[in-house]
Amino acid sequence: MRMLLRRLSLYAVTAWVAITVNFMLPHLMPGNPVQTMIGKLTGRVTPQQVHAIELSFGGLKGNLVEQYFGYLHQLLLGNLGVSITLASPVSTILRSAVPWTVGLIGISTILSFVLGTFCGTMLGWMRGSRLDSVIPISTFFQAVPYFFLGTVLLLVFGLNLHWFPVLGAYSPSVTPGLSWTYIFSLIRYGELPVITIVLSSVAGWMLGMRNMMITMIAEDFVLMAVAKGLPRRKVIMHAARNAVLPSVANLSLAIGLVVSGALLVELVFNYPGVGNLLLQAVLNEDYPLIQGIFLIITMTVLVANLLADVLYFILDPRTRTQAAV
Amino acid sequence: MIEEFATLVDPNDVDDAVLEIEDFSVDYGWGDSAVHAVNNVTLSVRRSRVLGIAGESGSGKSTLVYAVTRLLRAPGVITGGTARLSFDDSSSSTGQMTTLELTTASERELRKIRWSRVSIVLQSALNALNPVLRIGHEFDEVLKTHRPDMNKSERRQRAAELLALVGLNEERLARFPHELSGGQRQRVMIAVALSLDPQLVILDEPTTALDVVTQREIINELAQLRAQFGFAMIFITHDLTLLVELADDIAVMYAGNVVEWAPARDLYDTPRHPYTLGLLSSSPPLSGERRELVGIAGSPPDMSKPLLGCSFHARCPYALDRCSQEAPPLRVIDKTGRKVACWLHDADNVVPGPLRRTVRISAPTQAVNDAVSGSNQAVVL
Amino acid sequence: MSAARIPRSPKVLVGVGIVGFFVILTVVGPWLAPYDPSSTNFLPNLTPSGSHWLGTTSLGQDIFSQLMVGARATMVVALVAGLVATALSIIVGVAAGYLGGFPDEGLSLLSNVFLAIPGLPLLIVIDSYLPASGRSNSFVIGLIISLTGWAWGARVLRAQTMSLRNRDFVEAARIIGESRFRIMMGEIAPNLLPVLASSLLFTILYSIGAYVTLAYVGLTSTAVWNWGTMLYWAQANNAPLSNEWYWFVPPGVCIALVGMGLALMNFGIDEFINPRLRAGGLSGRLRRTSGLPRRPRLGFTPVMHHPQAQTSGSVLTKMGAQ
Ligand SMILES: Nc1ncnc2c1ncn2[C@@H]1O[C@H](COP(=O)(O)OP(=O)(O)OP(=O)(O)O)[C@@H](O)[C@H]1O
Ligand code: SF4
Ligand SMILES: [Mg+2]
Repeated sequence: MRMLLRRLSLYAVTAWVAITVNFMLPHLMPGNPVQTMIGKLTGRVTPQQVHAIELSFGGLKGNLVEQYFGYLHQLLLGNLGVSITLASPVSTILRSAVPWTVGLIGISTILSFVLGTFCGTMLGWMRGSRLDSVIPISTFFQAVPYFFLGTVLLLVFGLNLHWFPVLGAYSPSVTPGLSWTYIFSLIRYGELPVITIVLSSVAGWMLGMRNMMITMIAEDFVLMAVAKGLPRRKVIMHAARNAVLPSVANLSLAIGLVVSGALLVELVFNYPGVGNLLLQAVLNEDYPLIQGIFLIITMTVLVANLLADVLYFILDPRTRTQAAV
Repeated sequence: MIEEFATLVDPNDVDDAVLEIEDFSVDYGWGDSAVHAVNNVTLSVRRSRVLGIAGESGSGKSTLVYAVTRLLRAPGVITGGTARLSFDDSSSSTGQMTTLELTTASERELRKIRWSRVSIVLQSALNALNPVLRIGHEFDEVLKTHRPDMNKSERRQRAAELLALVGLNEERLARFPHELSGGQRQRVMIAVALSLDPQLVILDEPTTALDVVTQREIINELAQLRAQFGFAMIFITHDLTLLVELADDIAVMYAGNVVEWAPARDLYDTPRHPYTLGLLSSSPPLSGERRELVGIAGSPPDMSKPLLGCSFHARCPYALDRCSQEAPPLRVIDKTGRKVACWLHDADNVVPGPLRRTVRISAPTQAVNDAVSGSNQAVVL
Repeated sequence: MSAARIPRSPKVLVGVGIVGFFVILTVVGPWLAPYDPSSTNFLPNLTPSGSHWLGTTSLGQDIFSQLMVGARATMVVALVAGLVATALSIIVGVAAGYLGGFPDEGLSLLSNVFLAIPGLPLLIVIDSYLPASGRSNSFVIGLIISLTGWAWGARVLRAQTMSLRNRDFVEAARIIGESRFRIMMGEIAPNLLPVLASSLLFTILYSIGAYVTLAYVGLTSTAVWNWGTMLYWAQANNAPLSNEWYWFVPPGVCIALVGMGLALMNFGIDEFINPRLRAGGLSGRLRRTSGLPRRPRLGFTPVMHHPQAQTSGSVLTKMGAQ
């Protein structure tokens, strides 16, 4: 329990740091970019919206501390400002974009973790067999940028071979709603982005798990499982059950990396999530939107980290009785 | 040089053997870099009896038993010999004995006899128990695999019984290994080892990691359990004193060879191999006053090089000329069936005093010191 | 660290080869480029030919020249970022692990916070506020990348230092009264070397990815040629959709190859740190003559009956039976 509380407080501190960095950045940059931006706003958004933007940056009056508290206050009220290009509140925009990202990256991460862990288990157990030749190949996928792999897959399997429908999250001819055609379309359009993210991230899990399996197989309790005459499958489980723990411990840290890469996959496949939105916002210098997206991504990643920690807590009984690991 | 002995137990009477190891050799690695860890070892374990294996660290005790059970890890390779396991085949109603040659057995055959016929207890129970599984699981998986007809509550029942045998409360079944003490963990391992009523239990230094009191308790429990269930044991230890109480026969290993193999008491009271004598003088006495312990000078030979002559000759106080040229075979030297690998017991030699005694000397210090320091005169004798 | 203990598996050698190749390219790349990568003097959208090995862009620039010139910027920024990040991780990680107690709590918190914040979004936010002069300065970009990439190394180094701290030789140095700094630099640092090397490889790998990604989304100066800006221009001109593979595939493959080389080299370090990972395989000939299996199987110790052992064994049996 202590371990979970420790992690929880870590994430609280992290959230606070992210929020503060978010506030400080525009103030630290030379030439006061916020002033400049707001100066250029007239005509693009309504005066009320200009005011909301000003507030979301902490108001333009008073010293830095007052502005900071103003910013925190607005954050509590849910005012993340107004997007300059889309002329609507950032929070509203995020509300429609976040589920796509969470769905896409969430599913891909789970798939990739499960697949990588399984392959790593088998590679570790079968070490020395011909399967080992997968290892050098997998490092290529580990190193290739997500967006590049996505582009190649999109081109080859989407646009040339037409194996997968691409560009967007569902077919434009389908109306969103709780219908089978819609769900089916969602799945079909999601396939190639998911495959991209899984291919790019699976090697890390696989190689990590393989190394841990090899380390675990050398432990006495695995030999004991053999000595007990257990079927091979159960012997492997004895080792894997322990080998997976470092992977799960790393899960919370790796989520940040996967999210970083996966955000660009949305751009490649024109997926309507926050990654795509972020890059549009960068091109348009839409600062309120950029900052809102940074905050929401960070918060989501922190929640995912916490979930991964809970999983570790469930899997390792030692954390329950001992001090934090 | 044959004397009259009180007991006439013949360790060579292999008809009644649970496990017969013959001419067994094990290497680590292959080719030029191979370490010959076990060389042409012949041993057998009698039904319901305890064979103790003693010897310095690195003498190949663990290597031998793991290789025999085919559990030795890479780069271990069995390079010769046979190992036959005999057991009542419960599937044949006549209660006949079945023999399985372990060195040629298939993985499937091995899996079938593992734990149901031969079980193992390791030195460190902390490492031998899976840290993320409850104690109950250890029993459950064994019973589930080998007794598929038992249902869940029967398995639990049995696990509770087994824990009771080693003096633990069934409440422990829900615990994780790290929640038990070292002694409790080792008791759990013993209980798990007994869960299928095996013919043979191999214990590789099961008490080395424990304090003296717990060590004694566990040895006593083992003796009781053996009396109750009649399984045979191979008990590996450095500590000859510990063995003499528990074991029926003792084999002493040196540099991958068995150098002496005899009924426990005989070996302890009247050692016949110079190395056994040295080993006894370096372990504390069974009872009585404390005495000075004398180690054996020198260190074991490098086993990656082929050995010429007796493996002990570099450290042996009685070494003869031929000792550095020819390896002595393990041979029966008296009516008890005692086997010794030493040229001193060849017919045309006079055996030095300390290796000739017929009764244990009450103050062993003297004799032992004779043996070690006065070695040169002894040879001249 | 003796040379003999450094693993030389084929994987590692291939990795060293790949990385070595690209390091050379970093140095000589700009000289190898046949043309000025920015000059728009050629016909646009040429397919690969003898004079333009990788064709031309839609502005009429020579793609092969861009690839050659771009190698340097990409590798240098990655190296700068990797080195600075590793330096940061040494300072934070070793100090935290060695000092323990309150400083450790603080420094660990710092690195954990940086680990938990997703790197790329933070990079993008920082970068989007940078003035143009900052964006075109490779050094500034490298520094910012290193700021988001040091935490992982710090964590690993801290753990390693903590385990080293309690070992005998450090204890001994402490007893003879060496200063903390001397102990840290003299005793602990050399033993951290393998872990450090591994962390450096991964930080460089991360930095390449981060730099290329920033360039790809247009957050570095598009006038500086690197593999990321090549991808940016290719994407902006719809090269993927118009099947101009020779424009966008080469930079992507180069990035992946460098990363692959680094990852392969890391196998060697892994095997160095964890001996259990070292392969104990048999040569093909030995396997055939001895009848040993290719792959050791747990719980099935191989039996090798070579004729020599057999005969010497039977002699002994006969003697034993006397
Ligand atoms: N993996 C290995 N590779 C090479 N040699 C090994 C290996 N494992 C053990 N050995 C060698 O084999 C010999 C026998 O080792 P073994 O573990 O059987 O000794 P032991 O009698 O059980 O000792 P201890 O009492 O310390 O357990 C030793 O000399 C050891 O150096
Ligand atoms: S054979 Fe020779 S060297 Fe070996 S133990 Fe006997 S006397 Fe000593
Ligand atoms: Mg041993």
